[in-house]
Amino acid sequence: MDFLAEGFRRAWALLVAGDAEVYGIALLTLKVAIVATVVACGVGLPLGYFLATRRFWGRRAALTVVNTALAFPTVVVGLLLYGLLSRRGPLGGLGWLYTWQAIVIGDVLLALPIAAALSAAAIQGVDARVRRTAETLGAGPWRTAWTVAREARFALAAVITAAFGQVVAEIGAAMIVGGNIRGSTRTLTTAVALYTSQGDFGLALALGLVLLAMALVVNVALQALQGRGSG
Amino acid sequence: MVELRGVRHRYEGRLVLDLEHFAVRDGALLAVVGHNGAGKSTLLRLLALLEAPTEGRVLLDGVTVPRRAPAALRRRVTLVEQRPILFRGTVHHNIGYGLRARGVGHAVADRMIGEIVERLGLGPLLSRRRHELSDGEVQRVAVARALAVRPDVLLLDEPVSSADRASAGALYRALAAERAARPLAVCFASHQLEDAYRWADDIRALADGRLSPVTPENLFRVELPTGGGGSDTMKRVRVGGIEIAVMTDRTGPVVLAVPPTDIFVSREPLPSSARNVLAGRVTGMAIERRGAGVHVTADVGVELVAVVTAEAARDLALAPGSPVVFSFKASAVQVF
Repeated sequence: MDFLAEGFRRAWALLVAGDAEVYGIALLTLKVAIVATVVACGVGLPLGYFLATRRFWGRRAALTVVNTALAFPTVVVGLLLYGLLSRRGPLGGLGWLYTWQAIVIGDVLLALPIAAALSAAAIQGVDARVRRTAETLGAGPWRTAWTVAREARFALAAVITAAFGQVVAEIGAAMIVGGNIRGSTRTLTTAVALYTSQGDFGLALALGLVLLAMALVVNVALQALQGRGSG
Repeated sequence: MVELRGVRHRYEGRLVLDLEHFAVRDGALLAVVGHNGAGKSTLLRLLALLEAPTEGRVLLDGVTVPRRAPAALRRRVTLVEQRPILFRGTVHHNIGYGLRARGVGHAVADRMIGEIVERLGLGPLLSRRRHELSDGEVQRVAVARALAVRPDVLLLDEPVSSADRASAGALYRALAAERAARPLAVCFASHQLEDAYRWADDIRALADGRLSPVTPENLFRVELPTGGGGSDTMKRVRVGGIEIAVMTDRTGPVVLAVPPTDIFVSREPLPSSARNVLAGRVTGMAIERRGAGVHVTADVGVELVAVVTAEAARDLALAPGSPVVFSFKASAVQVF
């Protein structure tokens, strides 16, 4: 019990003191998470809309692929990406292995199926009359998509939250392609794993609390947005 | 003019529409009648260029429309669905939707919205949102939203299904006013013959996805006399070469409808309470594509169609040319 209490005390002290390492790691994690979420949703939401609304040959297969990718193990994605980015890999020339950009790519690969599959489900849940009505009133494809998305805004906000949650909590890919380098690619999850294994429970706990706070803030912010948009 | 040619439309392999030719001509006021599931809504969606037919072509002013109709073509035909849906936002926002989609400026849009709002009496609803409206109000807003974009063709799917009779009248009068002000073709689907005959210039009947000759054929435009030949409400009117007994208070020009299912079919006149007993010969028989009904057409002085079960048709040994007697009560005759 003392061990736990001592851990919390140290965590609190680190947070209150504005420990540079803790906040440095938190900022990097936030940067990676925001960039990866924006890219994954920027591609995934339109892809989900396309899969939900267009009838084309192979659509069912595409949906199956996307849904299967939801369960892709993070370490496997990390491993494949490592193979691509390592010096002998096809993308080795970029020199991105063990950089924050590599973590972003891994996170995008993991969050993209979430954004696409869940947004496709969300769009499919919108009454078909919404799209038909927009089209019969003369809306072009973009306005129609926007109108349908507005009707599914609660579900789409949940999709963005889920994608952010995946990115911020992911550890496998970040560890493998990021390398957990101090001051450069150490994110909250990789740091928590490292400090726990090194026995620095207090620091690990402090970082864990920051991670929790980050998830909480994002959820509260999205809920506030949803509340404003009712009616 | 929007038209369908050689259209066969399927949903998951099931044929739902089979039309050699169907057209809504410029300035037409056309009603499509048929029971639920007859294919009316599908027909309207094809005419609205929202779906491409599985087989066949849709033409706009004689030019074939591509399978994915571009917005520029879709903008000429506007559909109001059977249970219309309003977008998020106020009634004003909804009515202006199509105008914004066309890039109409605020000032012009507001003027156009104002005109249509006045015509449909929607002024008090302008700032309301969809959950603050009754079904009938939603329907009127949807019609206003469709009229605001001034389409060449307006398609209405069961426009009065959720409205009371008074607001139905208001709706049709508003459409008449709109048609008086500018060229506008209207095609509406209805399962109520009464609406079709009261408001449309022309009627097409749809059954099992095909144009059906049945419904319009038991309809007769007549002039009902004042007074009447029998009691106060029993009137005898001449239709072609025969007289039909009708129970009604109405006088003047009306449409009489004899529902094919209300006609009692026999080989010889039978004693019964039916005031209309008409003898003739079978001229045609058609088996319904679904269900067990047989449409028996007979010349009894006029052409009438009755629906009997396949079993009854067999028992009576009905065949083209065979003698037949059609009986129906005076009260079965509907007056529109």
